[in-house]
Amino acid sequence: MPQVRINGEVVVNFDGSSPNLLQFLEQQQQTVNYQCREGFCGACRCKLLSGQVSYLQEPLAFVRRGEFLPCCSIPKTDIELEIPK
Amino acid sequence: MAYTTFNRNINDQLKEPMFFGNAVNVSRYDQQKYPIFEKLIEKQLSFFWRPEEIDVSKDRIDFQQLPEHEKHIFISNLKYQTLLDSVQGRSPNVALLPIVSIPELETWIETWAFSETIHSRSYTHIIRNISAEPHKIFDDIMLNERILERAVDVTRYYDDLIDGINLYQRCGEGTHQINGKTEQITLRELKKRLYLCLMSVNVLEAIRFYVSFACSFAFAERELMEGNAKIIRLIARDEALHLTGTQHMLNILASGDDDPEMAEIAKECEEESYAIFMRAAEQEKDWAAYLFKDGSMIGLNKDILCQYVEFITNSRMQAVGLKPRFATTQNPIPWINTWLVSDNVQVAPQESEISSYLVGQIDNEVDTADFGDFDL
Ligand code: FES
Ligand SMILES: [Fe+2]
Ligand SMILES: [Fe+2]
Repeated sequence: MPQVRINGEVVVNFDGSSPNLLQFLEQQQQTVNYQCREGFCGACRCKLLSGQVSYLQEPLAFVRRGEFLPCCSIPKTDIELEIPK
Repeated sequence: MAYTTFNRNINDQLKEPMFFGNAVNVSRYDQQKYPIFEKLIEKQLSFFWRPEEIDVSKDRIDFQQLPEHEKHIFISNLKYQTLLDSVQGRSPNVALLPIVSIPELETWIETWAFSETIHSRSYTHIIRNISAEPHKIFDDIMLNERILERAVDVTRYYDDLIDGINLYQRCGEGTHQINGKTEQITLRELKKRLYLCLMSVNVLEAIRFYVSFACSFAFAERELMEGNAKIIRLIARDEALHLTGTQHMLNILASGDDDPEMAEIAKECEEESYAIFMRAAEQEKDWAAYLFKDGSMIGLNKDILCQYVEFITNSRMQAVGLKPRFATTQNPIPWINTWLVSDNVQVAPQESEISSYLVGQIDNEVDTADFGDFDL
């Protein structure tokens, strides 16, 4: 079960009860910006500090190296992410 | 370099830059330099909707019962959106088609602009329904100072680019005497105008619509003007895709991978890019003040809307590699996001089935296994 470290603090197991990382973060009471929830608007962009994610749908939004879209991905390994402020 | 509608040069389209290479000859998609643009086309087509599918008849009764200051908010926003989509329905075609050099991007531009014409037609659908004299509303767009002020900044980068392209394609680089006037153009200058034009379009689609969207959804939160809100959701979904398209173009250009000179130009244009964003944000705040001049509406006032403009401007700036310039870090109207979620969008029941069927079809073709190595 991959572990998710959020903003260098909280560590939570991604136990599969959320279909994607955006819902997972929302369940942890984190505020993440979003719009489409389908990978095409880019509003949910977060930083991926370490680890890897797998995309459930190919993201259409522009994603820079070191960033990822939580709305259409799940962790593939343990990850460390940062929610932009 | 005169434009030709079917360039006879036998070229390798995979080696063309996005813009200012050989004009496109064969519209072929079997090979693509930037497959993202075809994916945007597919997504846009799966979004297809028609204004007539949305029942706006209840809005007529709602509208009649709105207090005057809320009528002003509603109508003014529609006028402004009408201006924006009038520009967007034609300008990507007029400005970008003569200079685009790869087929998938050419077709994306056409698909994008076509969807804007649906937006324009939807405003007539809404306005005809709420007013017995729709012509008065449309006629005022060309007379309303507040709207005309905005039109200047919305169109100037397009017009500069189009003007430069005309001169360049007719006379080439250099200094030319045209009708007794001395005019000068270089390819580098044109590239600069292109970059700034795309930046300004990005601002148009990413910021300028959102004050209006927020008001539409604030009415709908009170179960008012819900037919309108349904249409605005469909428009907002399209706009989110359009701005992703422009962000891709800008980021590809700035990376220099496509045309090394473009990376230099992107750097040179940085200050002006900031200025385009900041000016638009200020104008949208002024617009919010104009909307609420005779009173606020429930759930929204000028200050909240101005904070929202700042929040959204910050996030759009970051998307194109600029640094946020406003202190606002929190979305002051988080409820707006639920109106912007893509799969909550419903048209008439049978229509929404059709559209999800289309989306499903596309999704089925791409098995999740295909993305197994889509890692970061
Ligand atoms: S919410 Fe739109 S890309 Fe994630
Ligand atoms: Fe539009
Ligand atoms: Fe648009």
